[in-house]
Amino acid sequence: MIENTKCECGHQNAVGTVLCESCGKPLSEELLRGTGPLEMRYDGVARRSMRANPTPIDRVWNFFSSVKVAVYLIIVTLLAASLGTIFQQENMFINRDPAFLLSYYKENYGWFGELYYRLGLSRTFESWWFRGLLFMIGTSLVVCSLDRVLPLYRALKNQQIRKHPTFILRQKVSYAATLPLDAHPSEPSGPADQEEAARRWVERMSAILKKQRYRVHTDGTALLAEKNRFSRWGPYINHIGLIIFLLAALARSVPGWHMDEYYGFLEGQTQKIPNTPYYLKNEKFTVDFYKPEELPEGMRNQGALVPKMYETQAVLYRCAADCDDPSKQPVLEEVARHNILVNHPLKYKGLLAYQYDWQETPQLISVRATLKNRQTGEAYGSFVLDMKQPQDSYVAGPYQLKLRGYYPEFAFENGAPVTKSNDPKAPAFIFTITGPDLPPEGEPYIYFPREIDREQFGQDAINGALGRKLELAVGSMDDVQVALYTSWLNIRVDKPLPYIWVGAAITVIGLAMGFYWQHRRIWLRIDGDRLLFGAHTNKNWYGLRREAAYALNRAGIAVDAKTLETGGKRS
Amino acid sequence: MQIAILLILAIVGAFTVGGSLFRDNDLPQVGGRAPDFALVGLDGKTHRLSDYRGKLVMVNFWGTFCPPCKEEMPAIEKQYQKWRDAGFEVLAVNLAESKVTVDSFVKQLNLTFPILLDDRMEIRKTYGVVNYPTTFLIDQSGKIALKKEGQMDESFIEQNLIKWLGKM
Repeated sequence: MIENTKCECGHQNAVGTVLCESCGKPLSEELLRGTGPLEMRYDGVARRSMRANPTPIDRVWNFFSSVKVAVYLIIVTLLAASLGTIFQQENMFINRDPAFLLSYYKENYGWFGELYYRLGLSRTFESWWFRGLLFMIGTSLVVCSLDRVLPLYRALKNQQIRKHPTFILRQKVSYAATLPLDAHPSEPSGPADQEEAARRWVERMSAILKKQRYRVHTDGTALLAEKNRFSRWGPYINHIGLIIFLLAALARSVPGWHMDEYYGFLEGQTQKIPNTPYYLKNEKFTVDFYKPEELPEGMRNQGALVPKMYETQAVLYRCAADCDDPSKQPVLEEVARHNILVNHPLKYKGLLAYQYDWQETPQLISVRATLKNRQTGEAYGSFVLDMKQPQDSYVAGPYQLKLRGYYPEFAFENGAPVTKSNDPKAPAFIFTITGPDLPPEGEPYIYFPREIDREQFGQDAINGALGRKLELAVGSMDDVQVALYTSWLNIRVDKPLPYIWVGAAITVIGLAMGFYWQHRRIWLRIDGDRLLFGAHTNKNWYGLRREAAYALNRAGIAVDAKTLETGGKRS
Repeated sequence: MQIAILLILAIVGAFTVGGSLFRDNDLPQVGGRAPDFALVGLDGKTHRLSDYRGKLVMVNFWGTFCPPCKEEMPAIEKQYQKWRDAGFEVLAVNLAESKVTVDSFVKQLNLTFPILLDDRMEIRKTYGVVNYPTTFLIDQSGKIALKKEGQMDESFIEQNLIKWLGKM
C-alpha cells in the first residue's frame, strides 16, 4: 500500500508521519474527523523504524525499537534476576570445588537445591543467558533512543511558526477569540490596517511571553514561543548514562578487569595471588581482644572472646622475572607495604586487599637446631630446619647430617613410618649422621622438633646408642619460628568502577533534566481579527495553563486558566 | 548508519555472551582438552604435558600422606614397564610435599616414571582435583580419555591401556 504522505501545505512527509512536519495538520482522514486533542508524541513525526518496505536489518532494528519489547525484556530480566536470589550464589563461597558445591546445595536445600545447582542457577548472574538479557536491554536502549531522538531533534530544530488551524485548535490547551482590532475610534479600518494591528498585538504578546522567559519567534501575525526545550533530551541523556553503566558492568568480564576473591595467607608466607603478577606476604598478623571489663554484662558471662582490632602487616611484591618457569624461583620486587585493617585495605594500582577474616592455625615454620654432645654439652654447630621444604643435608661442626626422610605428621603404620598429612603437625626428620667416631656409612638419627612428639614416639629409644652420644636440640623459643594465624584477605580489582560512577552520574543528570523542567510551547496566529491560540507541554499542564492565561490576560483578553482546557485527562 | 550501529552492538553482544559461555575457569572434563602444564620433576628437569603429545599419558595426582595413592603405585609401575614401549607415559604429580619426603618414598618403591612437584598446588586446582588419588588418562591428541577418582588396580589400568592404546 502506498500512503499519500504529501500535506496540502506542499511538504513531503516520511511514511508513518502523524502530523505534517511543516504545518502540523493531521495527515490521516480519521484524525481530521476527530475532535479531541492531538497526540503530540515526538511532535507527530515518523520514527526511524517506520519504513515502507523493511529489509531483514530493518526488522531487527524494528524489533529493538519497540518500547513494548523493551518493557517485556525488563520484566523477563527482573524475573531471571529474582531466580538468582533464591539460594546463595556460588561466588559467595571461598571453596568453589564443584563436588563441595554440589553437596552443599544438596545438604542445605534438598533436591531443589541440587536441581538449582545443576541448572546453573547458582551462577545466574554470570550465565550467558542472563548476560544475553542485559545485552538485549542495552541494545533496546540504544535502538529505541536513536529511533526517536534523531527525528525529534530534526522536528524541533525546523519548526514552522505558522501552524495549521486544526493543529492549534486541537491542542489540549487552546483558545479562540475575535480580537477587537478595528476598535480604533478615530480612523476607518481596512484589511491593511487590520493586519498592522494584528502585528502589533502579536508584538505585545511577544514581549509578555519574553518576560515569562519564553524564546519567541514571530512570522508576521503568527507566533511560536518555546521554553526549556533541553528537558526533551533528558530521557536520552539518561539512556546514555545507562548504556555506559551497562557497558562498564559487562566490562568486568574482560580478563584482569575484575576480581573478587578470598585467599588465606599464613604468617611468614609469601603467596602468589592467582591470575595476577602479584605475590603477597603476611609478615605478621596481630589481633587484640576486648578485656572482660570492656564488654557488656551479657557477653562477659558467656566468656566470649570479642576481637577489638586485627591487622595484617602485608607486603605486596610484583614478579619481575622467571614468573612462569617452574624450574626457577620467581624474582620478586616489593611494590607496596601496608598494615591492613578492616576498611583500610592495601591499595596498589587498582588492586585492593581487604582484611576479611582470620583463623588460628598454629604451626611450626622452622627451628634452629643445635647439635650437641649429650655428655659434655658441647655444641658442634647449628642450622635452620624448614618444615615445608627441608634441605638434603646439613653441616654441624665436624658432623654431616644427610636427610633421609621427612614426615610432616609422623605416625607408625604396621611398624613403618608414614605421614598422615602434609601439614607439619607432628614433624619428624630422619638423618644419617657421619663424622668423628661414627662409621663411614653413617648412623641413623630421628629428630622430633616438638617435645611432646619426642616423648610420645620415644625418640631416645629409637636412636639408641647414638642418641646417648649426640643430641639435636633447640636452644630457646627464639630459635623456633611459629605461624599462629592465617589471615583471610579479600582481593579485589574493579577497573570499570569509575565508569560505573560516570554512567550513574549521567543517568541522574538526565533524570533531573526530564523531571524538573518541562518543554512548553505556545502557538498563535491571527487571521483577520480571529485569534487562534494553542499551547503544549509534556508535563505540568497546570503550570502551562496558568502561564497561558496570564499572558492572555496581560494582552487584554480576560480568561480563566481552567477554561483553557479543551478535554482529555486533566492534570 | 543503521548497519554500523547494529554491527557494533552485535560485536559487544558476542563478547559479553561469548565471554560467559567460554569461561576458562571451567574444570577439565572427559572428552575435553587437557590443560597444558609445566612442572619440575624430582629429576630436576622441567616436564611439559604437551611434550608428550602422541603418547598416551597417565597424569596421577598423589601424596605420601594418602594410603590408596601409595598402594596403587606398584601397579602403575608394573604397567608402565609393560607398556612404555607401546607409547605409554606416566606423570605422577605430587601434591606439594617436600622433596625429601617424595624422594625417600620413590626410592623405596623404585618408581621409574617422572615424578612432578606441584609446589603451589596450581595444577591440582586447574584440574579440579579434590579427592586423592585422581588419575587422568590423556590420549595421543591431548584429550582427556578417562578420569578416575580413587585407587586403581592393575587389571583396571591394563584394560584401559589396551583400549586407548588400540592394542588387542
